Amino acid sequence: MTPGAEITSAAPPALAGVRRRRPKFRARDWLERESVFSWVLLAPPLLFLLLFLGYPFVYGLFLSFFHMEVAREPTFVGLGNFVRLWGDAIFWKAVRNTAEFTVLACLLKMIGGLGMALVMNQNFRLKALSRALLLLPFVVPTVLSTVAWQWILDPGMGLINRLLVVSGLATTGPSWLGNPTLAMLSIILVNTWRGLPFFGISILAGLQTVPTELYDAASIDGAGTWARFRHVTLPLLMPVILIVTTFSIIFTFFDFQLVYVLTGGGPANETHLMATYAFALSMGGGQLGLGSAAALAMMPALALVLVLLTLYVRRA
Amino acid sequence: MSKSTSSSLSTRRTLLKGAALGAAGLAGAPWLVRPAAAAVSQITFNRESAYVPLFDKHIREVMVPAYQKQTGIRLNYETDAAGGGAVPHLISIAQSRGPIDVAWVQAEAVYRDALLDVSDIGEAVGKAQGGWHEEVLRLSVWNGKWKSVPFGNIGQIMVYRRDWFEEAGIKDFPDTWEEFYEAGVKLKRKGHPFGMSMGHGFADNNSWLQPLMWSYGSQAVAADGKTITLDSQETAKSIDYVRKLYKDACIDDCVGWLDIHNNKAFLTSQISCTNNATSILISAKRDLPEMAKVIDHAENPRGPKGRFHALVPVNHGIFAHTPDPAATKAFLRWFMEAKNVGPLYAAGDMYYAPFLKGYDASPEWKKEPRFLPCQRLLTTGKLPLWPAPTDVKAGQVYATFLIADMFARACTGTSTRQVIADTVEQLKKIYAGA
Amino acid sequence: MVGELTWQRRLFGLWLPLLVLTVFCLLPFVWMVITSLKPNAELYDPKAFPLAIRHPSLEHYIGLLKETNFLLWTANTMLVAVIATAISLILGTLLAYPLARLRFPGAALLAMTVGAAYLVPQTLLFVPMVDLVNRLHLGNTLSAVVLTYPTLLVPFCAWLLLGYFKTVPKELEEAALIDGASRWCAMTRVVLPLCVPGFISAGIFAFTLAQNEFLYALLFLTRSDIRTVSIGVVGELIRGDAFYWGQLMAAAFLGLVPVVAIYMFFVKYYVAGLTSGSVKG
Repeated sequence: MTPGAEITSAAPPALAGVRRRRPKFRARDWLERESVFSWVLLAPPLLFLLLFLGYPFVYGLFLSFFHMEVAREPTFVGLGNFVRLWGDAIFWKAVRNTAEFTVLACLLKMIGGLGMALVMNQNFRLKALSRALLLLPFVVPTVLSTVAWQWILDPGMGLINRLLVVSGLATTGPSWLGNPTLAMLSIILVNTWRGLPFFGISILAGLQTVPTELYDAASIDGAGTWARFRHVTLPLLMPVILIVTTFSIIFTFFDFQLVYVLTGGGPANETHLMATYAFALSMGGGQLGLGSAAALAMMPALALVLVLLTLYVRRA
Repeated sequence: MSKSTSSSLSTRRTLLKGAALGAAGLAGAPWLVRPAAAAVSQITFNRESAYVPLFDKHIREVMVPAYQKQTGIRLNYETDAAGGGAVPHLISIAQSRGPIDVAWVQAEAVYRDALLDVSDIGEAVGKAQGGWHEEVLRLSVWNGKWKSVPFGNIGQIMVYRRDWFEEAGIKDFPDTWEEFYEAGVKLKRKGHPFGMSMGHGFADNNSWLQPLMWSYGSQAVAADGKTITLDSQETAKSIDYVRKLYKDACIDDCVGWLDIHNNKAFLTSQISCTNNATSILISAKRDLPEMAKVIDHAENPRGPKGRFHALVPVNHGIFAHTPDPAATKAFLRWFMEAKNVGPLYAAGDMYYAPFLKGYDASPEWKKEPRFLPCQRLLTTGKLPLWPAPTDVKAGQVYATFLIADMFARACTGTSTRQVIADTVEQLKKIYAGA
Repeated sequence: MVGELTWQRRLFGLWLPLLVLTVFCLLPFVWMVITSLKPNAELYDPKAFPLAIRHPSLEHYIGLLKETNFLLWTANTMLVAVIATAISLILGTLLAYPLARLRFPGAALLAMTVGAAYLVPQTLLFVPMVDLVNRLHLGNTLSAVVLTYPTLLVPFCAWLLLGYFKTVPKELEEAALIDGASRWCAMTRVVLPLCVPGFISAGIFAFTLAQNEFLYALLFLTRSDIRTVSIGVVGELIRGDAFYWGQLMAAAFLGLVPVVAIYMFFVKYYVAGLTSGSVKG
């Protein structure tokens, strides 16, 4: 099944109808109008999103203004839930953690992914195999890879600490999930491991669209490798880097599984993210209204991050 | 969902009608849709995947066919991971009247209103099988009505390496928390630290921290379910004790441990003692027979105010939205009959210690004397947040790990006064809530 | 890259970074595979090195295949991921095409609304979503996840495709329209075929997210025979506080096989599509 075939077979019913009534040029002309054609195309996805995203969203929004416990009658509390979160030290801890986690993990993935793409774009033996293998972390279900990381980060038996000890870098390795700072670093590390290939392959795709003539021209002008990268490659890659980074920010910001399986938000909330805290409030403590408010609070926070990113890019 | 909920959400209904139409079109592939069958013909029973595989096997291969043969009702037996998705799943089922009829109602305090009154079953089963150990009834019986039928307790006890303790010159397991600390210091010096979980797990953290608090005379919330009693000298003492124990006797990692981590650390010989269920010994018997010989169990040490244990109760409840309450109740009644539940307890190696006094002297307990502390703790065991009532608020305290975090923060550098003050503030928010 | 490469350049520009990346990305997999082949006693042996293996055994694979519905879970995962991806690509195309290439009233507003859709956290949606699914009587059916995954995927597919759609020169489409082709023809015959790499990258992205999804599957799929891999292994190989490590890792490794096969095919296609796309740049 190629994606192209899917698209052709996806003719909306409206257009199938047009073919039948081909002699009536009016209907066809009407459909050929840019705005009409646009809205005909837009109708199915919008309808779908309205039902399966719009409705739950409005419902969730609605919940966040209520005190609501499981299987009980909700009572309207206005901004009560938000006021409570505003004064909740754990919530703010989760906000700070989320910011730290998102920024650091995305930066690491961006730099690493760019490096990966530059390496993968060269010609070498086993190139195809390497490309496929380096994608693996992105492919394996997070739950399972995180279970593996439980062992890799183990203080005594873990691969990391064993390698540290064997190589003589340490007598006993550190406590990766017990030390508050290292626990945060660990979840960043695992998230980076998982997300790196996505950056790598997307930037690689971008790299391959850079016409070789541009390099040739730059080389003739006497530009070195770094100058070529800085002035030819990077500007052309910016759009794709931007899209991938934005995606990654969103997904990292909402990351849930990784923390849920690896640390549960511990030790002492040091790795609790907004998503896991909102989940704990509603799906652990049964505070459906409060949990919704905590989840909703992620939206302006994320929007802020994205606006800042856009502004930064515009200025640069 | 209650009547007034749906009326207050009237817009939602109209939206839903639209959604239903849309979905009917989109979900056009009938082979994917499994419509709910007519009411009586099936009952869905959801539990945690039992640690002892033979337990689930007994239900699947003995009880399910027997019940189907006897009644003609199809019984779907589903399992979830207790520390993973079970509670979220049950909450979502309770809230949205999802397709489960009867379940291990883990964290039932949080969604008790969605459960059916099963008083008749609870009382009849108790009468027939020797009566109930009382403490669990503070959870099951709410406002005079049984909302769940107790099944068994997952015994949380001290699991230790007898060989290493003896090497360090400790013949018997320490009787007091102070002696426990001293033993830990000796063992850590010999390279065998303790590993006492304090992370965001579902049992192994509170299962020793709460008994420790209680045995020092510290209680977070009073029995009235309103007064916050955490800020006390006793609490401060228990926190100072844990900080010292962590620093001098424990492995660094344990401050962030979930329930799996201490099993892993114990089985890989990294720690000499932890508080856990009997699962470590059972794993060792299967995979590490040499180690299994030197593992032993003990009750928690005692403190100035006595010896305490934390119950991890496994109760079965019926969701009030079950299409045929009578049939579902009939199933639960059948399930708890001595001739059915007895062999099931045995199939699980008494991993779930029966709350029914009739099993206190069961010959099953003699098969593995090391499990006996689990039987004894049924009398000293208290429910989470004792003596506070097991209400939604207590459920919230547990879901946000306030108690475990109080200790974990103290261990990672925050002052005792600060962690108590912060925890009190959090408790106040929960207990002042509407 | 162009230019004559000395061996030093080759070493520091290619082989060393490649080695670092490979070790970082693959070491956890090596560990997974080794663990899946180790008896538990060896896994727990404090003296054994994590990457060494003394008594390889297939017991975990046999246990996984015999005692659980693993093959069924894999089939379910693939089925759900493929259908959800297809739905998302189709809806994403319909959404992105007008936004990228056509002028119509309300475009700005629509773009903003779709933009806001990226910001909706899944944690906000699941209480309502569970309610919706159970009211539609889709609980415990694969339809529940096939219909809910695209809510996560469509906005992203649309976004990814948008970029690709924009790169096709307007003149190509205009020429087709002047030749008498309908807008639909211009779209499906001229523009979309040039965006195959876009479909593949959006498809890979959507497929990966769909086969990895955890929360909705956790809440909607509880019968063992209709679970996906992620949920199935958590529900049946994590028993209380004891993990069946070997079987979990065997599941991770076996679960990769079909996915990697699909990837191998598409990654090749992806690269081929890119290099032949002469109109791009």
